[in-house]
Amino acid sequence: MIKYLYIVKTQIIKSLTYEFNVYGNILMQTIIMITSAYFWKALYRNQSVVAGVDEQSMLTYIIISSALSVVMFTNVERRIEQSVIKGTVATDMMKPVNLFGVYLAEDIGSIIALIFQNMIPILLIGGIFIKIPKMADIRDLPLFIFSVLISFLINWLIAALFGMLSFTAVNIDALIQVKKHLLRLLSGSIIPIWFFPEIVANVLRALPFVYIYQLPISIYIGKGDRLEQIAQMKIQFLWLIVLFALFFAAQHRITRKVLVQGG
Amino acid sequence: MIEVKNLSKDYKLKHKEPGLKGAVKGLFKPGFETVHAVKDLSFEIGEGEIVGFIGPNGAGKSTTIKMMSGILTPDKGSVLINGEDITKHRKTVVRNIGVVFGQRTQLNWDLRLGESFELLKHIYQIKQDEYDKTLDELDAILGIKELLNKPVRQMSLGQRVKGDLVASMLHSPKVLFLDEPTIGLDVSSKYALRKFIKEINALRKTTVILTTHDLGDIQELCERIIIINHGEMMEDGNLSEIVDRIAPYKTLVVEFYDEEAPEIEKCEMTEHTGNIAKYKFMKNETTAAEIIAHLSKVKTIKDVSIEETGIDDIIRVAYTLM
Repeated sequence: MIKYLYIVKTQIIKSLTYEFNVYGNILMQTIIMITSAYFWKALYRNQSVVAGVDEQSMLTYIIISSALSVVMFTNVERRIEQSVIKGTVATDMMKPVNLFGVYLAEDIGSIIALIFQNMIPILLIGGIFIKIPKMADIRDLPLFIFSVLISFLINWLIAALFGMLSFTAVNIDALIQVKKHLLRLLSGSIIPIWFFPEIVANVLRALPFVYIYQLPISIYIGKGDRLEQIAQMKIQFLWLIVLFALFFAAQHRITRKVLVQGG
Repeated sequence: MIEVKNLSKDYKLKHKEPGLKGAVKGLFKPGFETVHAVKDLSFEIGEGEIVGFIGPNGAGKSTTIKMMSGILTPDKGSVLINGEDITKHRKTVVRNIGVVFGQRTQLNWDLRLGESFELLKHIYQIKQDEYDKTLDELDAILGIKELLNKPVRQMSLGQRVKGDLVASMLHSPKVLFLDEPTIGLDVSSKYALRKFIKEINALRKTTVILTTHDLGDIQELCERIIIINHGEMMEDGNLSEIVDRIAPYKTLVVEFYDEEAPEIEKCEMTEHTGNIAKYKFMKNETTAAEIIAHLSKVKTIKDVSIEETGIDDIIRVAYTLM
C-alpha cells in the first residue's frame, strides 16, 4: 500500500512540473460554463421550474459539473496505449507491483494536483462570473462526497476497460476521443437527461454514465427526495460492482496477452 | 539458479499486402502469419555465471530475455528462477531480478534521477540503511551521485544507461538481465559498463545474462555463450571451446622484402597483396613457428604477426551455418 501512496506522491510532483498544461482546461471549462449559463438563462425565461429544478439550481449544476470534470480525469487509457505502442509496458511489468494499481495511483496523483491547478480556479471563475455554487443542503455533503467517490471509480473502471482494448487493437486514439465526448453527452454533464425524451432518458438511466455526473450533482443541488437519491445510488453501486467484475476478469486475461513492440 | 525448459513463443502477425488495395483488403479480410519467435529452448544457468546471448537481429534473443524476466508469458515451457515459476509468481520472483534494456529506460522522464530511485526504493520496499549502502557501493563503481539531481530528460545516453544500471541493482537482485546494454554508447561509457558488470559479478555473485551485438562485450565478460538463431539454440558452451570448435584456425601474416610469396605445406595462402601474405593454418595440424621455419628456409622474412580468430569470425561462421 505504501508503495502505491508513494506513486501518488511522485505523480503529484510530476504533474506540478508541467504547470502550463493545465491552463487550456481552465479556459475550456470557463467557456463551457459561461456559454451554458447563457443557454440556461435563455431557456428559463418562460418557465421558472423545469422537472423540479429552478434557474439558480441549474446554474449551480453547470459550475459543479465543470468542477467535477477535474475529478473525472483519467489518463489510464492513454497510459496503457502508450505503454503498448512504445513497449514501456515491459518496464512496468518487471516490478513487484500490480500494473493497474500503478495506473490508478498515477491518476489519483494527477487528480490531486489538478484539484489545486484546475478545480479551485474553475470554482472561483464560476463563483465570480455566474453565481456562488452553494449546496442546497449542507447535511447532504457526506452523501455527495461518497457518491463522487463511486462516480470516480466507475469512470476510472470504464477508462481502464477501454484502455485494455489497446492490448489487442494497439492504437485507440480515435476511440478515446469518441468515448470522451460520448461520455460527456450521455452522463448529463452538459444537459441533464431529464431534458431528454422519456424513452431516451429511461435508456440512459439503465446505463452507467448518468451515475458519473448527474447523480452526484443532483444530490448537490438537492433534486428529488432522499428516497429517490438512495434508489439511484443503489444502481450506481450495482454498476460499480458489475464494472469491477468485468475489469477483474479482463485484467487476468490481458496480462497474458502482453505484446512488447520493438527490440 | 535459472532453469529454462522447452520455452516456446509464437507471434501472430497481421499480414498486410502492400499498397492501398492491400490496406483496404486487410480491413475486411485480415490475414495472419504465425512467427515462431522462440522454439523449444532449454538450458540452465548457475549462480554467478555471466552468460552472453548472441544471434542476429530477430533471432529471438530479446523475446527469450523478456520471457525469462516475466514480461512475456511463454506459450509453452517454463522458466524457474530459484525454483519458482516466473509466470505464476511474477510479483515475488521479480524481486530477485533486475532488467536493463539498452533501448528503453525504466527511469522516469519527468523526474530527477534521485526521485526515480526513491520511487524504486518504495516499490521494492528497500530499507533506508540498505538503500544507502547499495547506493554507496554502486556510486563507487559508476560515480552516480553527481547525477542524482539531474532530470532524466536532460541526460546523455551514457548517463541514462548508468542511471538504469543503478536502478536495476538498487534492490540487490540475484539475477541481472541486460538487453543490448552497450547499444549506442561511446568507448568510455562501454568501459564503465563492462567494469560495472564485472565488479557486481565478483562482489555480489550476481548472475548476469546479456544479449549484445558488441563482440568486445562478449570477449571481455562472458565465459559462456549461447548462440540463438531463428528461435533455436545453435550453440551453448564455453566461449573458447566454441571458438576452437567452430574456427580451429589462426592466420599468420608475413611481410617479405619483395612481392613474391611461396606456398607452404599444411597451410593455405588466403591473401597476397604487395609484400604481405596471409597464411591460414589449423591449430591442431601445425604451429606458427613451424610455418615461419619453413618460410625462412626459402625466403627472407621482414616481419610476422598472428591474427587470432576473433569472436566475430565465430559469429560469422555460426550465422552462415544456420
